[in-house]
Amino acid sequence: MDPEQLDEFVMGYLKKKGFNGAAKQLQEALHNNNNNNGTGSSSSFNSTDYHNDPELTKLIRSFSQSENDPTRYRNGYSNLRSWAYNSLDLYKHELLRVMYPVFIHCYMDLVGKGHTQEARAFFNSFRKDHEMIHLRDLQKLEGVLVPSHLEEMEFARSLRQSKVNIKICQYSYDLLLQYLHRTESTLMLGIINEHINFQVYSGQPNSSSDDIDAVTIVGSFQETADHVNQKEIQWGLLEDSLEDRLEKTGSLLTDSEKGQGESKDGDVDDSNKKRSTEIGKQGSSLKKLKKDKAGNATAKVARQETSTVSPAPRVKSELALPVMSTDVEESILEDLRNRVQLSSVAMPSVSFYTFVNTHNGLNCASISHDGSLVAGGFSDSSIKVWDMAKIGQAGSGALQGESDTNDQVAGPNSRRNYTLLLGHSGPVYSATFSPPGDFVLSSSADTTIRLWSTQLNANLVCYKGHNYPVWDVQFSPFGHYFASCSHDRTARIWSMDRVQPLRIMAGHLSDVDCVQWHPNCNYIATGSSDKTVRLWDVQTGECVRIFIGHRSMVLSLAMSPDGRYMASGDEDGTIMMWDLSTARCITPLMGHNSCVWSLSYSGEGSLLASGSADCTVKLWDVTSSTKLTKAEEKNGNSNRLRSLRTFPTKSTPVHALRFSRRNLLFAAGAISKPTS
Amino acid sequence: MSIVPKETIEVTAQSIGITNLSPEAALMLAPDVEYRVREIMQEAIKSMRHSKRTTLTASDVDGALNLRSLEPTYGFASGGPFRFRKAVGHQDLFYTDDREVDFKDVIEAPLPKAPLDTEVVCHWLAIEGVQPAIPENAPLEVIRAPADNKIYEQKDGPLIDVRLPVKHVLSRELQLYFQKIAELTMSKSSPALFKEALVSLASDSGLHPLVPYFTNFIADEVSRGLNDFQLLFNLMHVVRSLLQNPHIHIEPYLHQLMPSVVTCLVSRKLGNRFADNHWDLRDFTAKLVSLICKRFGNTYHTLQSRLSKTLVNALLDPKKALTQHYGAIQGLTALGHNVVRLLILSNLEPYLSLLEPELDCEKQKNQMKSYEAWRVYGALLRAAGLCIHDRLKVFPNLPSPSPSLLHKGKGKIISAEPRKRKLSADSSQNQLPHKRLMTTTDGLRPQDHTGPAPMHVDKPMGKKGNESESRHQNEKERGKGRVITMKAILGQIWKDDLDSGRLLVKLHQLYDDRILPFIPSTEMSVFL
Repeated sequence: MDPEQLDEFVMGYLKKKGFNGAAKQLQEALHNNNNNNGTGSSSSFNSTDYHNDPELTKLIRSFSQSENDPTRYRNGYSNLRSWAYNSLDLYKHELLRVMYPVFIHCYMDLVGKGHTQEARAFFNSFRKDHEMIHLRDLQKLEGVLVPSHLEEMEFARSLRQSKVNIKICQYSYDLLLQYLHRTESTLMLGIINEHINFQVYSGQPNSSSDDIDAVTIVGSFQETADHVNQKEIQWGLLEDSLEDRLEKTGSLLTDSEKGQGESKDGDVDDSNKKRSTEIGKQGSSLKKLKKDKAGNATAKVARQETSTVSPAPRVKSELALPVMSTDVEESILEDLRNRVQLSSVAMPSVSFYTFVNTHNGLNCASISHDGSLVAGGFSDSSIKVWDMAKIGQAGSGALQGESDTNDQVAGPNSRRNYTLLLGHSGPVYSATFSPPGDFVLSSSADTTIRLWSTQLNANLVCYKGHNYPVWDVQFSPFGHYFASCSHDRTARIWSMDRVQPLRIMAGHLSDVDCVQWHPNCNYIATGSSDKTVRLWDVQTGECVRIFIGHRSMVLSLAMSPDGRYMASGDEDGTIMMWDLSTARCITPLMGHNSCVWSLSYSGEGSLLASGSADCTVKLWDVTSSTKLTKAEEKNGNSNRLRSLRTFPTKSTPVHALRFSRRNLLFAAGAISKPTS
Repeated sequence: MSIVPKETIEVTAQSIGITNLSPEAALMLAPDVEYRVREIMQEAIKSMRHSKRTTLTASDVDGALNLRSLEPTYGFASGGPFRFRKAVGHQDLFYTDDREVDFKDVIEAPLPKAPLDTEVVCHWLAIEGVQPAIPENAPLEVIRAPADNKIYEQKDGPLIDVRLPVKHVLSRELQLYFQKIAELTMSKSSPALFKEALVSLASDSGLHPLVPYFTNFIADEVSRGLNDFQLLFNLMHVVRSLLQNPHIHIEPYLHQLMPSVVTCLVSRKLGNRFADNHWDLRDFTAKLVSLICKRFGNTYHTLQSRLSKTLVNALLDPKKALTQHYGAIQGLTALGHNVVRLLILSNLEPYLSLLEPELDCEKQKNQMKSYEAWRVYGALLRAAGLCIHDRLKVFPNLPSPSPSLLHKGKGKIISAEPRKRKLSADSSQNQLPHKRLMTTTDGLRPQDHTGPAPMHVDKPMGKKGNESESRHQNEKERGKGRVITMKAILGQIWKDDLDSGRLLVKLHQLYDDRILPFIPSTEMSVFL
């Protein structure tokens, strides 16, 4: 290629890429150059040095040769792929990590250049490699067929605009560069340069197990996440909580009373009796919420620096919390005193509420804090609330659950056993009980949230604010406040007495699918279809943590009672345990093979229960993790938590789970096929 | 290119009244249509997830359309599955069958039954971590162990005593091993390899997880392959190897194994072809039975009694074939002399009288039958001989007079049939004192063990005679010197044990006629 042609090509290239300024300068330079040539001096401009550099010339030539040949992508990728697969085992997994970004960008390049057919063929021939980890993303990308889709689709756009961070050891990095240079695969080199940000570290490659965050993440997003996760959070429990008070009073108790308490703890085998008391003691006392304590509250907005040394540091509430009536407080204290200590050797009893004859219409189920009330939200926009304590009494006192449905339906005293709440105009996606069980909140596809009273059996308030279906709503641990999340990609904080939201949390890149309160009420966590979980400061509305690692949409969240850990369950059946302060995944809990609809921590935080669409309830031992984390953090390896038990149901997907304050586990679900 | 073919676009365009859509436009539209459909489905899947379902419904799609302010689809809310029909004359054109419904029919139709109202029932999913066995729990049909279906089928009846089946995980290696052994057992083509496999089965540790599979396999194959002699023999070899393996705890599976073994012992017909030497199989199986009884008789008290009952029933049923009788006799013999004395000898007289006509060549025209009868007769004789020998051995002074004889005899027989049971060789030798019995048993034994070629069947008597004669040439030489001492011992025995003596006499009476031609003159004279 003679210099003239080369200049022309460089010009064309710069113009095509939109570097108009550079093109102009080059043109001027060339012009000057020519002039200078005439005068015999060409020393002043080094911008055209590429004439003299054979490497660069070669590179440019290769660009010019096959700029638009779609088969180059295929060949380049398949060569790189076979090279990576044949590389040394030690470095293989690191090199294979590079393949996925290269793959999707090759595909998008092909689509972007309008080679739809080749793009499809390329995609189909190599998608198998990545299906295991990136199935959901591939499904999204598969539909992208014309350049305009690339612009339109948010996911594709974000992929195009940002770089992928890949941690790679020095040797692997050298290997890769060597290969790319040796084979002159400039195309691949270009893609890798453009879209991958290597974080090279010295030493031996990491084991392949901890590559969760090494592959899934879009680079710039990772950076913001890292940035966000630097923020300080106060994960401790509230000062002067009921548990504290219990401990205090417990220490003042006489020995005999203590002994009594212990004997109650030991009295686990008499679970029938326990259950009857549990259910019999329904939330009968209506709690008067002293709304807006803010007036006399000491406005503890300023954060108190609490030491993180103590096992569960105390923090002050940033919200003005409602005052609990004394009898409610008494009943809670009573429950706490009677709590069964659970551990990996002392398993809880599980009471299962099965919805029958739902005709596939049950969208959600919720259980009150004492387990006596069960609410179901249906796709016909109705909400039905059952009082299990009453049903138990009606059914000849037999609480064992053998009570026959037909009997109840035909029962003489009442036609219906449940309270029907009508008001929504779309499928009800979520329902939640206030802690004492006197209110129910429901969210629906009609974009509203409604507050119902279980005493009056009537709708009290309709909260309008979301613009799209509201997927989830949750009462705060102390009532009065609640959080909702929606298809409109926001989560909102509300109080019962205002029809407008108090805070709007925006930041998720896709639907916000689930929401959960931190035990100290200062934070909420949200799980989203963008496969992340975020933690938000309720007071400021800021995002304070981003948890990255799920591979599909997050469906359920639970916070440990000590406020330090969070569990999240996703569509694939993976449950992840997070440390809130570091935003790192302690360990993924594998075991379910379908959506994890519900998660719940036991009262003292030693067990985690998970309910899934695979019709099982699983119990996980999470104590081992909490004790070992510090050592683990030092060692840098994660210890797998144990799955303790699996309780299969008779083809009933588990929609809801709740540990009562006495540590009895309640589960609910609709049987998926008609019995008999 | 796009998964939506341009024909679909054209058809859709026609259906909404656009008739002049150019093919290029259709081609351009196709990828976009696919993209939009995928978008809608993505939203629909979200809607499905939030309805806590795992199947997508038309209402989910409607919900997704609603999110985009699009008109929902109509006509899909009935809930029934869609029936797509193939358009006649087109390869891949389908349409939904949309029947016309007469209003009158709809109005006049009786109201359907009101659907049952939603209810909540509760039960204990677990009590302190243990799932109680109540009908609401333990969906046995959902989790089932891969094998051993039989066990759980029986359990299906009463739901109260439900145990959760333990999931049995087999390593890939074990699966391969099992497959290989099963193949070898079935194939019969490479006896050498099969022998190796048997050795491995008998000695390898770590095979225990496979035992239920092997028992199932054996039971299945025996019931299926009764016509396949070689297969049965192989299976019995497998059983023996399993029994021999010291690392296998086979006891819990015995009840499954025994029927197959007993089948191979007393089945009416084993093997299909004339050439199949089912006698061998029966003898082998009899030894297996005795092995099992010896090993598990202590722990499994009813084993022997049940077994002997089955066998005696087979023996005493005159309707059963002679082959079955033979098997039963062999089985009983293997169980020891007490069993023989109690169950065979007590029935010997009537049985022999029944057998008599069959034995007679003139009377019994069917040579096969007569051959079979002779086999049975031989087996009976052997049983009686073993029994009487074992009884006589009880006397302390018996072994002492003839140590040299014992050694000599043993050596001889062992060299001839190295793999045969020592005990039987021993015993037959020791029976020499009772010349009459001895000779007959000996006369039969070669045939028992060498396994006559099937063609010999046509002259059973002659063959037997020849063989026993040649045998008794040796016997004679050996026996001559010992005759005197034997006689003394005999006398002693008769004196000491009238019972045994009487038995002996009885046996003599029963066998007398048949035996005489085979007894060498010298020994006979001593006896007489």
